[in-house]
Amino acid sequence: MIEATGLTKRYGSKTAVDNVTFSVKPGQVTGFLGPNGAGKSTTMRLAVGLDRPSGGTITINGRRYADLKAPLREVGVLLDAKAVHTGRSAINHLRALAATHSIGRARVDEVIALAGLESVARKRVGGFSLGMGQRLGIAAALLGDPATLILDEPVNGLDPEGVIWVRNLARFLASEGRTVFLSSHLMSEMAQTADHIIVLGRGRIIADAPVNEILALATGTAVLVRTPDAERFGALLAAPDITIAHREPHLLQVTGLSAAMIGELAASNCVVLHELSPQSGSLEDAYLALTKDEVEYHAGEVAR
Amino acid sequence: MTTTTTTTRYTAHGSGLSFRGLLVSEWIKLTSLRSTVWCYVIMSTLNIGLGVLLAISFQQRPDATALLDQGYWVQSATIAIAFSQLVVSVLGALVITGEYGTGMIRSTLTAVPKRLSALFSKAMVFGVVTFAVSLASIITAAFLAQLILNSRGLNIDLADGRAWSALTGGAVFLTLAGLIALFLGTIVRNSAGGISAALGLIIVAPIVVQIFAAVTRASWAQNVLEFLPSSAGTRMYGYVATPAPNIPDVVVVDPAQGLLVMIAWVLFFGIIASLLLKRRDA
Repeated sequence: MIEATGLTKRYGSKTAVDNVTFSVKPGQVTGFLGPNGAGKSTTMRLAVGLDRPSGGTITINGRRYADLKAPLREVGVLLDAKAVHTGRSAINHLRALAATHSIGRARVDEVIALAGLESVARKRVGGFSLGMGQRLGIAAALLGDPATLILDEPVNGLDPEGVIWVRNLARFLASEGRTVFLSSHLMSEMAQTADHIIVLGRGRIIADAPVNEILALATGTAVLVRTPDAERFGALLAAPDITIAHREPHLLQVTGLSAAMIGELAASNCVVLHELSPQSGSLEDAYLALTKDEVEYHAGEVAR
Repeated sequence: MTTTTTTTRYTAHGSGLSFRGLLVSEWIKLTSLRSTVWCYVIMSTLNIGLGVLLAISFQQRPDATALLDQGYWVQSATIAIAFSQLVVSVLGALVITGEYGTGMIRSTLTAVPKRLSALFSKAMVFGVVTFAVSLASIITAAFLAQLILNSRGLNIDLADGRAWSALTGGAVFLTLAGLIALFLGTIVRNSAGGISAALGLIIVAPIVVQIFAAVTRASWAQNVLEFLPSSAGTRMYGYVATPAPNIPDVVVVDPAQGLLVMIAWVLFFGIIASLLLKRRDA
């Protein structure tokens, strides 16, 4: 359980995290979503005591990170893949970290295997690709078999196979009852991984809800209609609360009507349909809608 | 809630942070980098190589005394310290600035969130290894120099206690000089800056003070010079055959005081480094 209360971080005159309160519960994957510069990484750095809050607190299982007796065994952290000395081999990096908590060599070999790094374990990290560095960072986070995982952009730089690996790993760790908190700016990725989503924009929480509620925030549900008779059918469907967009010469995107109603209208007007597919609102749309509001809110504030 | 029942399984288990663990960790870090190995190899080569060179180039003087011969022997074994202190300073700075430069420091400080024990264990491991390597190479140089000098007709007394304290003093000085660089590196958090600061203190500061002393002929400037690390160091490993002339107002520290001066420098930078490390965002 991670709990932030009134958490604030200012760097000079810039407020990176602005009076943020949230909690991350065990047994589920909590996604931390927001555009670059929204304050996700800063919040995570505050969580593990790398930065000192300007105000408020953030605790892990009720205690400040710095007060934990065995931090690596309670919290696994991936802040950025580059937190590794480039002149050292992957295995020596992990051995050095493990030694601080007297974690044995067997566990080091275990996480190397888990992250699929066996073939490069003895190579110097300086030559690693972004994806391999990311895997090493995740291996380091898992060293202490921690109950809480804080992963900043874990899929960054991973190939598709790696992305699926992280997704399954996060879901598996949460299913074991651990607290999994991961950030991303990839909304589509979050839709597939997270149970709960906290959306951050300009250092403030915009939304904090289960993933399906966030999806439901997407305005309206669109239906794609492909027909050789697009011009005529478009005119037929037109009504005040219905939006019709001509995406391609023979493709319409209709919002405000269900696929069934469009199908019936087509049949009764003898319009040939080649495709009729409802588009579920994507997290992407929801997210853009949410952050757009946030930007407008700020613009209004400035104009005052 | 179903989740609360499963979470109890995942409370922290196994061993926690320990200072012994931190020492092992820092030992792995120090020995798993090529730069460390290279710096120690260069330092040992300098200490032994220059010592042998000086012993070989020995010229018998007409006014030679047993004491002067002993002095020449100790000088042979310690002559390279003027250079190897530069190597040890570079390494001392790199040990910590390498972590800042690569981002490793964030891994270190998340593993050791109280921070100070990470710095102390690093300083301790670096100090012990540097002392061991320095002492081994200086003593090797001393033995080789003794063999060479005795083959040239000298009769070097290996049981000379003052000689041994000078040789040990040289190793202690190199260790403390390295620690000053390590703490300067912690303060500056940047390899180029840390190395520059350390070399500046060792090379540039004495020259500046020396020029100032020569121009103003002020005795206090002379005294400032005496308390800079490089001068205090030469007192620690110097084997004085004849006592220095007693000039009024000019302080000359003895080997023990030289050690205290060096310790004071280490503590000074160590305390600043600790305060900054504890306070700053990493």
